[in-house]
Amino acid sequence: MAIVDVQGVSKRFGGLTAVSDVDLTVNTGEIHCLIGPNGAGKSTLFKLIVGLYPPTKGSIFFDTVDITNERPHARVQRGMSIKMQAPSVFKELPVRQNIQIALQERFSGAERSAEEERLLTLLDLAPDSGKLAGALSHGQQQWLEIGMALALKPQLLLLDEPTAGMSPEETFKTGELIKSFNSEGMTVLVVEHDMAFVRQVAQRVTVLHLGKIFARGSLEAILQDEKVAEIYLGKAHAH
Amino acid sequence: MLKLLEGPQTLGRGKIFWSCFLAVLAGALIYPLFADSYDVGNFSYFLIWIFMALGLCLMWGYGGMLSFGQTLFFGIAGYGYGVLAINMGGGTMTIAALVLSVIVAMVAAGILGYFMIWGGISGIFFGIVTLSATLVLAFFLGQTAGPEWHIGTARLNGFNGMKGMDPLAVGDFYIEGSALYYVMIALIVIVYVALRMLVNSSVGNVIVATRENPQRAEMLGYDVRKYQLLTFVIGSGLAGLSGALYTSWGQFITPSSIGLPAAAMPIVWVAFSGRSDLTATLVGSFLLLFGFQTITIYSQQAALVLMGALLLATVMLAPQGFVLGIGKLVVDWWTGRRRPDSGPALAAGRLQSDET
Amino acid sequence: MSAELFSVFYQFADVFAFLILSAAGLAIVFGMMGVINMAHGEFIMCGAYVTVGLVNLGVPLPIAQILAALTAGIIGVAVEFLIVRRFYKRPLDSLLATWGLSLIVTQSMLLIVGSAVRGIGTPEGSFAIGEYTFSTYRLVLFGCAVAVLAGLYIIFMKTPFGVIARATMQNAAMAKALGARTGRIYSISFGIGTALAGLCGALYAPTMTLIPTMGATFVVESFVTVVIGGANVLLGTAPAAVFLAMIRMALNASYGQIIGQIGMLVAVILIVRVLPEGLSSVLVRRGR
Repeated sequence: MAIVDVQGVSKRFGGLTAVSDVDLTVNTGEIHCLIGPNGAGKSTLFKLIVGLYPPTKGSIFFDTVDITNERPHARVQRGMSIKMQAPSVFKELPVRQNIQIALQERFSGAERSAEEERLLTLLDLAPDSGKLAGALSHGQQQWLEIGMALALKPQLLLLDEPTAGMSPEETFKTGELIKSFNSEGMTVLVVEHDMAFVRQVAQRVTVLHLGKIFARGSLEAILQDEKVAEIYLGKAHAH
Repeated sequence: MLKLLEGPQTLGRGKIFWSCFLAVLAGALIYPLFADSYDVGNFSYFLIWIFMALGLCLMWGYGGMLSFGQTLFFGIAGYGYGVLAINMGGGTMTIAALVLSVIVAMVAAGILGYFMIWGGISGIFFGIVTLSATLVLAFFLGQTAGPEWHIGTARLNGFNGMKGMDPLAVGDFYIEGSALYYVMIALIVIVYVALRMLVNSSVGNVIVATRENPQRAEMLGYDVRKYQLLTFVIGSGLAGLSGALYTSWGQFITPSSIGLPAAAMPIVWVAFSGRSDLTATLVGSFLLLFGFQTITIYSQQAALVLMGALLLATVMLAPQGFVLGIGKLVVDWWTGRRRPDSGPALAAGRLQSDET
Repeated sequence: MSAELFSVFYQFADVFAFLILSAAGLAIVFGMMGVINMAHGEFIMCGAYVTVGLVNLGVPLPIAQILAALTAGIIGVAVEFLIVRRFYKRPLDSLLATWGLSLIVTQSMLLIVGSAVRGIGTPEGSFAIGEYTFSTYRLVLFGCAVAVLAGLYIIFMKTPFGVIARATMQNAAMAKALGARTGRIYSISFGIGTALAGLCGALYAPTMTLIPTMGATFVVESFVTVVIGGANVLLGTAPAAVFLAMIRMALNASYGQIIGQIGMLVAVILIVRVLPEGLSSVLVRRGR
C-alpha cells in the first residue's frame, strides 16, 4: 500500500532539468532512503513532495489523494511532517515554545504538557528548554527540528539530510530514534548522504542519478548492485 | 482564559507588575477629579492614538509585518465615521457609526492585505505598498474640495476636511470631557488586555512563529497567510478605531492626518517604545504623544524634527526601542539578578530577527 | 504622423519621463543594496531648491540643473557614509533611519526657509501640430529620461565600475573575496542614486511650486515603479515605467490625474498578486 506515489514527475529550472520523469513509491510502514551522488536531484524531488515547488510535469499522490497542487501546510495537515536540510527552527523563541507551536494543533491542556515533557526528554533538550532555540548547538537545533516534526504525529515523516552536522554518536542516536518511531507505525522517507546512516535505518532504497531513477530495491540488493557502487557507493566507500 | 494574560510573548508578570498596572489605572481613573476639563480633554486626545500604536505593535513587533498604512485605516474610519454620523443623524446612532466605520476600515485592510499577502509581499515592500496606498488616499481626499464630492449629505471638502458630524452620544447625552475620557480608559484597558491574551494564545504562538520563520510555520501545517491577514486586519482595525474616535473627538478630520508626516508618527512611537512588547508600546507612545503635544504648542515643525531625530537615534542606538531597553534594565536591577546574557543582550538579539 | 497620434505619444512621454526620473535613483539604490531610501523625496527637493537658488543667482538653467544633481549626489555620499552604511545587513532599519532623516530635513526646511520660495517658471517654447500645442520643455524631460536610461546602461554594462557593481549585486561576498571594494561600490551607487533624485528635482523645478514637502509628490510614483520593476533598473524599472505610463495615460485622459494615480496603484497591487517577483523576474526568466 503506497502512502506516497510520485508519477512521472519532472522539474525544470530554466534550461536545467533537475528531476526528469521520476516515479517513486513509498510504502506504508517502511523506512525508505533516497540516495544519490551530489546533483542527482534528491533535494529537488524532496521539495516537490513537500510542496515547495510545483512540478513542471507529473503528479504526486499522498494516501491516494492527488496533492500535486497543494501548498505545504495542506500536505502537512494530511499527515506529512517535514524536516528540512538546514536547521530551521524559531530561533528567537525558547525551545519549549518551539515544541508548543508544533504540538498545539493536536494536543491541549494537560495532555499537551505531558507530550511536551516527553519530547523534551526524548530529545535531551529538557535542561535547555528555557534557552532561545538559536542559542542551541547545530546538532541540538537539528534534534529540536526533528522533535517538532515528530510532535505532529505524522503518518509520514520526511527528512532531508537529518544528520548533517551531527557527530557519529548523535547520528547513531538519531537513527535509533527514527527506527523506534517507525516500529510504532510511522512511515519515513529520508534523503541522505551518509551511507553508514542509510545502512543503519533503510529498509528500501531508491537511487537517483542525474535527475533520473537509477536503481531501486531492498537495502541488501542496492548494496550488492555493482552499477550503483560504481556511481555512488564506490565513492562513498572511498571516503 | 486569565492564564493568557501572562506568557512568553509579553513582558511584565506576577504580583508586582499587576499591582503597578492597577495603581496606574487607579491614578488614571481619579485624574479627572483633580484636573481641569481642558487637561482632561487633552489627555483623551493622547489616548486616541494609543490604539493605532498598539495595532502597529501587534503587526510589526509580533507579526513581523511593518505596515506604513496605519494612517490609511485611521483615515478610512475617520472619514467613515464622519460620513455615517452625518448621514445617519446624531444621538445613539453615532455609536453605530463608530462601530461601522471601524468595520469598514477592517474590510479595507482585508482587501489590501489579501492582495499583498497572497501576492507574497513582505519586508520592505510591505511597507512601501502600504505607504503608497496611504499617500494616494491623502492626495485623493486633498482634491475633493468641490461640491460634487459628497457622500450623502457629507461634503468631503478637500484640504479643509470634513466637519459637522456629531460627537459620540447616547440619546441626548454627548460623550465629551470626562465621560469621553472614561470611555477611552475603558477601551484602552479592554484592547490592551485582549491583545495580551491574543499574543499569548495559540494564535499568538503562530503569529510570532510566522515572524520568526514563515516556512517552518507553514511546514507545521499552518496557513501562515491567514494568520498574517488576521494580524493585519486586527492591527489596521485598531488604527481605524483611533481614526473614528479622533473624528468624534474634534468633530473634523482632514487629509493631513493621513498623509506625510502623519503616516510616520506611529512608526516613531512604536520604534522608540520597543515594538516587541505591548506594554512598552503603551507607555512609550503615551510619553511621546505627551512630549510632542507640549512642543507642538511652540512649533509643530520643531516637534516633527524631534520625532525624526528620535527615529534615527532609535535605529542607530537602540534598535529594540528605548522604553523597552530601559524597562528591561530596571527589571534586571530590581530583581537583582543581572546576568550578562539576559536583558539588553537578549533584546538586541531579537532585533536582527525580522530581517532574516 | 497625425496630430492625434502625436498627442497620445506626447502624453505617454510626459508620464513615462515622470516615472523614470522619479524612480531611477530609488531603483539603483534598491537594486544595488536592497535599501529603500525613504529620504529619496528630500533629495529630489534638494535638487529643485539648488536649481532655483542658482538660477536666481544668475546661473543658466541647464548648468544649474547639473550642479544641483551633483550637489544631491555629494550629499548622498555623505549620508551613505554617516547613516546608511551601518544598515546594509538590516534593510528595514535603513528604511527607518532614512525616514527619520526625511522628517528632519523636510521639517527643518519648513522652519528655516518657510513654505514660499520664488519659483522660476517653466522655460517657454511650444510648438503646434495641427490644432494641438505642445510644451517643448515636456519633450526635453522625455529626452532626459531616455538619456538617464542610456547613461545607466553605459555605466552598468560598459564600464569597469559597472562590471564590478553588477558582480557585487549578484553576490557581494564573492565580489569582495575577489577583491572588489564593495564599500566603495555601495557609496558610489548611493551617490548615483541620490544624484538622479537631485536631477529629477532639478528638471521638474521649473514646472512646479517649490515647497519643502514637494518630495512627497514623487514618492508614490517612484515606489510603485520600483515595486513592480524589482531590483533591476534596466530590465525592471524601464518596462515597469512603460507599462504604468500606459495605464496612467489612459486614465488621466479620461478621468483626470487623481484617478490616474489611484488606477496605477490598483494596477500595481493586482500585478503583485499575479507576479510576486516583479516584472524583471519575468523578463530575466524569458531572457534565459
